[in-house]
Amino acid sequence: MDGIDERTAVFVNSPLTGEQLGAQTSLAGRLTTLDLTGIALQQFGKRSAISALLGAVAGRLVGLRQESIREAVARELADLGLAASVIERNQTIALQCYDAIPTVPLETGAPQPIAPAQLQVPMYEPPTRGTARISAAGNSILRETSGWRTFRPVLVPGKCNGCWLCFAYCPDGVISMTKDDRPVIDYAHCKGCQICVHECPTEALVAEREKEGAVAWKAK
Amino acid sequence: MEGEMMTGNLAAAWGARLADVDYVPAFPITPQTEIVEALAKWCESGAMAARFVTMDSEHSMMTAAGAAAATGARVFTATSSQGLLYALEVLYSVSGWRTPLVLVNVSRALAAPITLEPDHNDVLAARDSGFLQIHAETCQEVLDSILMAYRIAEDERVMLPVIVNLDGFYLSFTREPVIMPDPEQVKKFLPPFRPAHLGFKASAPHALGVAVLGGTPYSYFRHQMHLAAMNALEVHREAAAAFEQLFGRRYDVVEGYRLDDAEDVLVMTNAFASKGKVAVDVARAEGKRVGLLRLRMIRPWPADAIRQALQGRRAVAVLDQNLSPGQGGILFQEIAACLYHEALRPRALCSFIGGLGGKNLSEGEFRAIFEQTEEAGVRGKGIGPILLYTEAEHREMVQLQDIAADVRTS
Repeated sequence: MDGIDERTAVFVNSPLTGEQLGAQTSLAGRLTTLDLTGIALQQFGKRSAISALLGAVAGRLVGLRQESIREAVARELADLGLAASVIERNQTIALQCYDAIPTVPLETGAPQPIAPAQLQVPMYEPPTRGTARISAAGNSILRETSGWRTFRPVLVPGKCNGCWLCFAYCPDGVISMTKDDRPVIDYAHCKGCQICVHECPTEALVAEREKEGAVAWKAK
Repeated sequence: MEGEMMTGNLAAAWGARLADVDYVPAFPITPQTEIVEALAKWCESGAMAARFVTMDSEHSMMTAAGAAAATGARVFTATSSQGLLYALEVLYSVSGWRTPLVLVNVSRALAAPITLEPDHNDVLAARDSGFLQIHAETCQEVLDSILMAYRIAEDERVMLPVIVNLDGFYLSFTREPVIMPDPEQVKKFLPPFRPAHLGFKASAPHALGVAVLGGTPYSYFRHQMHLAAMNALEVHREAAAAFEQLFGRRYDVVEGYRLDDAEDVLVMTNAFASKGKVAVDVARAEGKRVGLLRLRMIRPWPADAIRQALQGRRAVAVLDQNLSPGQGGILFQEIAACLYHEALRPRALCSFIGGLGGKNLSEGEFRAIFEQTEEAGVRGKGIGPILLYTEAEHREMVQLQDIAADVRTS
């Protein structure tokens, strides 16, 4: 995000408006938004099917023509071995996203003069600090990953049979069990992988669409 | 510039495909894997008439490459960083066998600590191996340099393998417009590979890479390799002229940017030279007479071209994207050596180390480089090695160290 200032045209994949994002975050720039994840989930059933959509939006912002976008989508997706009908659908939805984004008149101007950097002269430190090592045991808890999720697992208590399989399968160890054998999910560290939802034999864990607002990560 | 947008890796793969190579022994490593993936796809579909084989390591890969070249096959392979170092002992054998081939290295900083982004300690570790080295700044140059590399490597006056280097991520995974040379023109540029001293046949057996003792034969053969590498300067000149005639693009052993009336010159290599050129433009707009010299050929060392470009300058700053612990910048030393006897050598030769592990080279750091270099030129004495690191980066590092060390209990 280096080099972004109030004149930069910035696109964010989000259901919030540009104004809301500008107010809630420290993002500078002229913000344009569109919920590409939501569109991908709705139209393709996959949150990851956003490549063509992102390309179309970026193309719109820099002034590429619709025809160029259409061709580019076909060429890029052809490499993935997708069926022609899937590629065509990607083109259609991508161009809908293209139309949904207003153009942002781009400014040109001379770059601001930058002062010479304040350089730090490296000083020798003893190897306890000067080596790439981590001595703080279990400090990954400091990194919150709630903002990584598209879906969060939510417990339907009536359906849980206390089998502990979710606890066993969670790859990040964010599920702990109560005395009554019920899972408690640490949402600050759940990454939303859905393995617990997938493994639950009684469908007591369901996937709920994550709400906008969690930060990508922050270290305490 | 027209052409199609493609990554440096894909441009490298196209270089191999246009050169109509016969054999590709392969092993994956970030950030080059896209090269061998593209080649695998084309060999499988028949778009390329080459044999593609996955090996169990870069050491085996390099051995297979040299062995195949010894049978007279045109060979291509690619690696990076740890892979290059794993193959390192074989590089010396391949050059000693005088089996030409092209090895693309996608530069990546070496472990430890392990990382993914580029610097040049990997490729420069091979500078004494007998492989020639060409370092590319753009995706177009990657493709073109591979074609030139085969022509130079397979010339009777050279017969040495060549490394073509491109920066990981900044070039390997970055798309730039690349004009595809016409395959018919490439055939004119690259004659078929017909080495007189190679090619194993049952009817004409010979032994290659035989053992020698006593020093006399060993020295002779090593001298031959050195002379061959030195011949490559002239062969490169001829190849570049032919390339320009057929394809309209000109490559010399070094590239000068706004050098004409430059008082102070910044020396760089590879993709970050693009940032250096922008910094030169910014300084020029403020009236500073600065220029940039980009070294393209590293082996053989283009001593004459360097002397010619740097003689008479007030100050020269060598920006090494590499570090030899306990000495400093590798290219700085080689430049200093070739300038030693030059009557008009620059008054101040300065050493800067930057971009290690792909660390950003900011506009502010380039300004600091030009400022400090100018001061050194006025004083008449070089400085360095200056290890580029900003106060902001230092604060970031302290924060990371505190998290890693669990400051509460230490």
